[in-house]
Amino acid sequence: MAVLEKSRKVVAESLIGQRIPKMDAPEKASGKTRYIHDLDLSGQLHARILRSARIHARIKSIDTRAAKALPGVHVVLTAADLPDQRPIGVAKDHFPLKGEVVRSQRDEIAAVAAESVEIAEAALKLIRVEYEDLPVVADARAAIAPGAPLIHPPRQGAPAGAAVAYTGRPDNVAMRFDYSHGDVIQAEADSDVVIEDSFKLHYVTHCCMGVSGVIAEFDASGYLTLYSNTQVPFLHKREFAEYLNMDPARIRIIQPPIGGGFGSKLDVYPFEVICVFLARAAQRPVKLVFTREEEFLASPTRQPVLLTLRSGCKKDGTLTFRTVHTLHDNGAYTSWGATTPFVMMQTFSSLYRVPHCDYHTTAVYTNNPYAGSFRGYGNLQATFAIEQHMDMLADAIGMDPLAFRLKNAQESGEVTGQGMVFKSCGFKDCLTTAATRSDYVVKRAAYRARQKDAGAVKRGIGMASMLHVGGGAKIYPSDGCGTMLKMDDFGALTLITGASEIGQGSETVLAQLVCEELGLPISAVTVVNNDTDITPWDVGVHASRTTFIAGNSAIGAAKKAKAKILAAAARKYECAEETLDLKGGFIVRKESDEALIELAKFIRGLHFSDKAELVMTTFYYEPPSVHQDKGFKGDVSATYAWATQVVEVEVDTATGIVSMTHVTGAHDVGRVLNRLGLEGQIEGGVIMGQGYALTENLMVEDGRIRNPNFRDYKLVTAPEIPAMDVSFIESMDGEGPQGAKGVGEAPAICIAAATANAIENATGVRLFELPFTPEKVYRALHGQTEKLYWAPWKPE
Amino acid sequence: MNQGIERYLAPQSLDQALFALQELGEVTLLAGGTDLMPQAKAGRAKFKRTLMNLRGIPELKGVSREGNTLRLGALATITELLHDPLVGEHLPVLREACDHFASDQIRNAATLGGNINNASPAGDTLVPLLVLDAEVELASRPDEAIYRRRMPLSEFFVGPGKTRRAPAELLSAVLVPCPAPGHVARFYKFGARPALDISTISIGLAGVRKNGHLENVRVAFGAVAATPLRALATEEALEGRQLDAQTIARVAATARQEVQPIDDLRASAWYRQELVHNMLTRMLEHVAQN
Ligand SMILES: Cc1cc2nc3c(=O)[nH]c(=O)nc-3n(C[C@H](O)[C@H](O)[C@H](O)COP(=O)(O)OP(=O)(O)OC[C@H]3O[C@@H](n4cnc5c(N)ncnc54)[C@H](O)[C@@H]3O)c2cc1C
Repeated sequence: MAVLEKSRKVVAESLIGQRIPKMDAPEKASGKTRYIHDLDLSGQLHARILRSARIHARIKSIDTRAAKALPGVHVVLTAADLPDQRPIGVAKDHFPLKGEVVRSQRDEIAAVAAESVEIAEAALKLIRVEYEDLPVVADARAAIAPGAPLIHPPRQGAPAGAAVAYTGRPDNVAMRFDYSHGDVIQAEADSDVVIEDSFKLHYVTHCCMGVSGVIAEFDASGYLTLYSNTQVPFLHKREFAEYLNMDPARIRIIQPPIGGGFGSKLDVYPFEVICVFLARAAQRPVKLVFTREEEFLASPTRQPVLLTLRSGCKKDGTLTFRTVHTLHDNGAYTSWGATTPFVMMQTFSSLYRVPHCDYHTTAVYTNNPYAGSFRGYGNLQATFAIEQHMDMLADAIGMDPLAFRLKNAQESGEVTGQGMVFKSCGFKDCLTTAATRSDYVVKRAAYRARQKDAGAVKRGIGMASMLHVGGGAKIYPSDGCGTMLKMDDFGALTLITGASEIGQGSETVLAQLVCEELGLPISAVTVVNNDTDITPWDVGVHASRTTFIAGNSAIGAAKKAKAKILAAAARKYECAEETLDLKGGFIVRKESDEALIELAKFIRGLHFSDKAELVMTTFYYEPPSVHQDKGFKGDVSATYAWATQVVEVEVDTATGIVSMTHVTGAHDVGRVLNRLGLEGQIEGGVIMGQGYALTENLMVEDGRIRNPNFRDYKLVTAPEIPAMDVSFIESMDGEGPQGAKGVGEAPAICIAAATANAIENATGVRLFELPFTPEKVYRALHGQTEKLYWAPWKPE
Repeated sequence: MNQGIERYLAPQSLDQALFALQELGEVTLLAGGTDLMPQAKAGRAKFKRTLMNLRGIPELKGVSREGNTLRLGALATITELLHDPLVGEHLPVLREACDHFASDQIRNAATLGGNINNASPAGDTLVPLLVLDAEVELASRPDEAIYRRRMPLSEFFVGPGKTRRAPAELLSAVLVPCPAPGHVARFYKFGARPALDISTISIGLAGVRKNGHLENVRVAFGAVAATPLRALATEEALEGRQLDAQTIARVAATARQEVQPIDDLRASAWYRQELVHNMLTRMLEHVAQN
């Protein structure tokens, strides 16, 4: 920005669409960021947790005497020491410390707080536990088989309506979801082509660079401060109060910079409650940070899903119906992640125009790892099935799969069978842009023709698209976010927002939106966003909602500040407010951009006058979305994001190695706010999708994780990352902040589905089970894979 | 994790090191630590009473040429081997293996001596060294003088983590004859990803090219048995035979029969056999064409 000398004309560029480096980048890149690992409180003790040595067993006895006697040990706790433990989790189906039965490898039996991590570790080794094994249910299908051992068997004597932890359950069914619109039976009769296939989605986990951790501290008045990596501080404040039988007003949650979230920090986990118990008992601050192995064993996974999809269409390419049955493995306890069907059914019912749709999910208890929430929230699993069927249906009627998709794609103005209203929809633009930029149609035909050519290495191209909430998701009573904005005497801003930063770049984009309103450079802002005692309420960082919801909230506060400043300026310059504006750090005349006064100087004038005033504003934004009804119908998000991704692969048929060479993506992001941040988000998401498709696999055998380390759990490394071509479709959403939509989850969603289609294009072999690791692919190519089939199942 | 260590030694000469080794017996040797430390942390390796850091011993460092033999010091790191001009000129197949070894950070610390003494069937330098007829040199000091014995690498391995090194010996160097003119050698490593992976299988192939066939054939496999091994039947099937499609098919089939891998986390035995077959075919075709 600059003020031209002669005309006093202010010249400043808009910040929207610029490439703005993340505000926290210098600290992070120089290693100065203080994560929870780097935080130490004086007098602090270190905690470790003893986890189960068995997968499913009755605990006969726990002997902690030797551990307690170890010098340096302050507290050893077991369930017996905590008669006031309350059940935790969405289904209230487990206690932080298990006293009677362990149901999974992660299960917490005892906890130690000691002078050092080493002493705490040594103390764990001294704890003796006697077990009596119970039968292990290691497969979701086994969990619903008649006569299956029960994970939470019914218990006598619990009061009616009590939590699952007290009452148990008559079966292993944790949750059911049933949705329908239209009449699938009639629609099937009217179809020219009907196909049915089963798909199997595996376990992966978030692999946050920063492992889980918490520090709990009580002050002398019994006020609890939690240093926590949570993604939902305000929800957790309330939840902790319940678990600890405390007044929520006495709990403060501070979030140190978080080393990755991706949905892994949406639940309250036993380790966090246990750490508070230890701090309470020790009367000292207690810190508990996972080891990497523990992170693999005791943090959640993406939900493994078994899915049978039946789809139909007419010869002219019109979709007729879809029937979906899915079986989800919750593990031993239910997390928020069990509600992924909310998202999955949206994709089945509404990504394309489907006049008739039936959707059924059973989420079951097993002795497997605890499946939770993960970026995409069920959408990777749903899209994997749908987008393969889109290719298969197109092939069955001899139609080009792009044309088939375009024929059935949603458009602006559509209201879907599930009641979602697509006010802005760039889906068709996404399809054509990604197809054109990748030369999809030509390549697909060429690669198909070359399937039988000599040479072991085959090339293939595949496409997949997605729909995801892009304007929040009204699941909790409020989906809102609050902002407080303060301008100081030097024209600098403090933006106090409820929205949490988990590395996604929200601080930067929020600062950008506020500065755009107030005509200030981004360097004018300090963001405060990590302390429930300071920041206003926000539902949390999930559902790709922060830019949209917190962005609108920040703009609301900035607009109020601007109105206040301009009203005062209008009085001073004796003109109408509408003729003034803020630009480049000045108050200017709107018509001419002529500078009237430097903003900081004007603010000081307001402050140091006899009618002293400060510029401080607040705003709360609640999106105009609605809660779904009991049948899961309703317009749950203020807007929806769309994307198409085209994946190109090389398949080495002599080894089964699939190399992803190119990804061409087109994303309806509403409007580009921070181009650099957006590109980073898309690229990271593509790589996460690539890992899901090709390399990552948490191997679980009989309830036990076999590869809790980065040697055998394979993240994608730099040389494997494909070339990427990403385009942004700007549908300028009317409700979005400056027209933008949320895109946090979007880029990870399509990759596995598009990869499956690309492998089929290369080899003629279709794969229904993830991940596409070399041996799996090789077996399929050599006819060594049995066709998967799961017969749809519903409880009586 | 470091429990049980009572004494730390950092000898500054081979003589000092061997003397201490002879005297103390109970010694854990530390070179780059890239195997030892993770193993100790996971509880798979236990420290003995004395921890001896070998890295200050000048005699174990560097690569040199002695007549027709290359001497690779036990402390040569993978990074050094990767960039060493003598290795690049005479032992490109070893260089190739180093290029597929771990990551830069690990290569900077990891030593050749550590890779050999760790005796993992998946150790990546072992297979190329086997096809290069390498020998290990083991040094000890039973009395006043340093004593060195040599042993073909192919005899050195006994089982996973087990070798014929005596407790009072150090591996001082690896000796590799400079290959004759016309020598061809290939290395192939299969990992689930191109970088930073442990071999699922690896294949080494060497021989001297003479009018369309190979003589003095050496074939070795990694990660298909308890130790890396020479595949004698496969070598015989290839020795002196015209390198045509028929020979290649026969050799690959022999190799598939000869290896006896196991099922583990990384791959099934069946798949490893398939890989041995398919990748040896590919390597032989490559040799035949070039
Ligand atoms: C992330 C990671 C990736 C890896 N990737 C690979 C890979 O791709 N390929 C591969 O082959 N390996 C790999 N490794 C294993 C390891 O790096 C190598 O085996 C390395 O060469 C070991 O050398 P070092 O110097 O670190 O050995 P150390 O750990 O110091 O020692 C290993 C063993 O050898 C003994 N020893 C060391 N030097 C001598 C000596 N001179 N005389 C007698 N005994 C001795 C030690 O006592 C110990 O038992 C990897 C390891 C890690 C952690």
